[in-house]
Amino acid sequence: MKTVLLLTLSFFMAAGALAHTPQEKGLAIAEEADKRGEGYQDSQVKLRMVLIDNNGDESPRQMRVKTLEGAAEEGDKSLMIFDTPRDQKGVAMLTYTHKAKPDDQWLYLPALKRVKKISSRNKSGPFVGSEFAFEDISSQEVEKYDYKYLRDETVDGKKMFVVERDPKDKYSGYTRQVAWIDQEEYRVWKIDFYDRKNDLLKTLENKDFKQYLDQYWRPSLSVMQNHQTGKATRLEYEAYEFKVGLDERAFTKNSLKRAR
Amino acid sequence: MSMCVGKSAIAMVLLVTTSVTQARTDVLGQVDYELTAYAEDATYGPDAGLKNSVALRGEVYQDWDDGYQSITFKPFYRWDENDEERTHGDIRELIWHKVGLGYELKAGIGKVFWGVTESAHLVDIINQTDLVESIDGEQKLGQPMIQLLLERDWGNLDLFVLPYQRERTLPGQDGRLSGGLAYDDTQYESDQEQSHVAVAGRYYTYIDQLEYAFSVFHGTSREPVLGVSQLSGNVVPYYPLINQLGLEVQYLDEGWAWKLESIYRDGMPEYSIEQFGQRLAVLQTPSGLQVADDEAYWSSVAGFEYTQVGVFDSRIDLGWVAEHLYDSRQAKASLSAFEHDVLLGTRWSFNDAEESTLLVGMLYDYEYQDYGLSLEGSTRLDNRLSVDVEARVFAPSSQNPQFGLRDDDFIEITLQYYF
Repeated sequence: MKTVLLLTLSFFMAAGALAHTPQEKGLAIAEEADKRGEGYQDSQVKLRMVLIDNNGDESPRQMRVKTLEGAAEEGDKSLMIFDTPRDQKGVAMLTYTHKAKPDDQWLYLPALKRVKKISSRNKSGPFVGSEFAFEDISSQEVEKYDYKYLRDETVDGKKMFVVERDPKDKYSGYTRQVAWIDQEEYRVWKIDFYDRKNDLLKTLENKDFKQYLDQYWRPSLSVMQNHQTGKATRLEYEAYEFKVGLDERAFTKNSLKRAR
Repeated sequence: MSMCVGKSAIAMVLLVTTSVTQARTDVLGQVDYELTAYAEDATYGPDAGLKNSVALRGEVYQDWDDGYQSITFKPFYRWDENDEERTHGDIRELIWHKVGLGYELKAGIGKVFWGVTESAHLVDIINQTDLVESIDGEQKLGQPMIQLLLERDWGNLDLFVLPYQRERTLPGQDGRLSGGLAYDDTQYESDQEQSHVAVAGRYYTYIDQLEYAFSVFHGTSREPVLGVSQLSGNVVPYYPLINQLGLEVQYLDEGWAWKLESIYRDGMPEYSIEQFGQRLAVLQTPSGLQVADDEAYWSSVAGFEYTQVGVFDSRIDLGWVAEHLYDSRQAKASLSAFEHDVLLGTRWSFNDAEESTLLVGMLYDYEYQDYGLSLEGSTRLDNRLSVDVEARVFAPSSQNPQFGLRDDDFIEITLQYYF
């Protein structure tokens, strides 16, 4: 009984017992979610991205993502390698996420052996023709948003926090995002994205969460639905691998040229 | 309970081991079918009509040592209906690559790109241009090299030893874009001819949104100087020994990308020998080869690309490109140089499922008051098939070295099948 009480207490401490305003509570939830994802060191995953147009026609592509956890004040580094469609094979994208300044991003075009730096101005643009924007697929550092706790909600028997987060970057394509985060594991199940006119633009749903190394939760399926165009994009993840021993060498500008 | 943990820990170790040490093998191929339409008979050479060409590309890759060592082999062959000079093969790459901590080592035949600008690639000097492949100079021949890359906190340093010089491919008289030129044997300044060993280095780094690079090169020029033989009347390609310093700068500022490439080069003979009412750099006479004096010169491309994201409330990104090209030799500049030109272009990224793009540009020479137009587009038909479209219009004035290409306007469609 005592243990349960302690657990409950520490849970509330983390989730916002210290937070008095909706802003403080929203931030506390984001920080707790972030904390629970810490310590993974590195990960890699294969995924299939399926673009679905208004007629339901699908065009698939395959890619792999390698991620290196940022030390201390640094953001994560990620390398995305495209396998199909075949004209894109060998194309690779390297991202250095930063907490306080715009991310650094480079794209490698194998046909010309050319590494191009991408402007962070493009962050609201579609990622490889999909319904995901560049900013949706980059690492979600806590510092990139202002938060506001809205309410609790029970969805499919799960108690959720509903938290609004407003991008700080003026080039974000969104005025605000509303996220549903479960109170037990702090997983993000759903995000509504509101465009610059504050109209509902897209909804992201994360499904079939799996736990890795007894700690890290990752969805096996993510679906981004665009409400304004009727198009959607599905991300189907294969099994994640964590702590595979990736080092900095796989995440330098030069590594782009040999990414496979 | 502890047993379970132990087991899963072992399973985890096994999983980790297999995933890291798994060697990777890739065998890939590509066939390009190229159809080119010429509206007019060439001034010198073939008639108007449709021309066919087919190219085969392969890639074999094998790595080991946890992926830290690899060999890549990329053969290439093109068959061209008209131009026997364009029917050619090449080893684009055959290279061993080792990745160490803070360094990389490569040995074999490789390909390297340097540069940031669109309209010209001044700094890019490691590989020879495969000019019969594409007039934009972006297709390159494989280059024998040993490359050492140091990747450190203070930046990146690339060092090259280049033991062999490749000759630039040039279109034959039966081909298009040849200007009707016939060539005599190639001449070299170095007694060792193609075996002269060149050395090069490049330092590059970045600070936030500013990227810059300095490079040096000493060896036989990749760009030939074109002379004339008094004996045959044919063109004599001449490759001098040169020194080149290069600078590349790119600064990204929100939607703006500011770009600069500049070279300082010495060793290139100037077009200063008066003969046949023309200015020549090299003249083959019965008594031997006469080469004009060289004078150091500099050349630059500077400009910007401004990108509007999601223009007209659509998914389309629209880019505006403007670049200025300058060569300090002006009228004495080599034939392929841009002495006083401006590029104005627009780039469309449609951000559709097919990732369609379109780049339209006009290169305007403000002294000769002539221009060239270009259009390059690409889209995907399915997972294994994509299509490129290229069109060029040449409108050179009679003073322009490109005058011989005035009737070579073309539209080209290339189907690319991957297997």
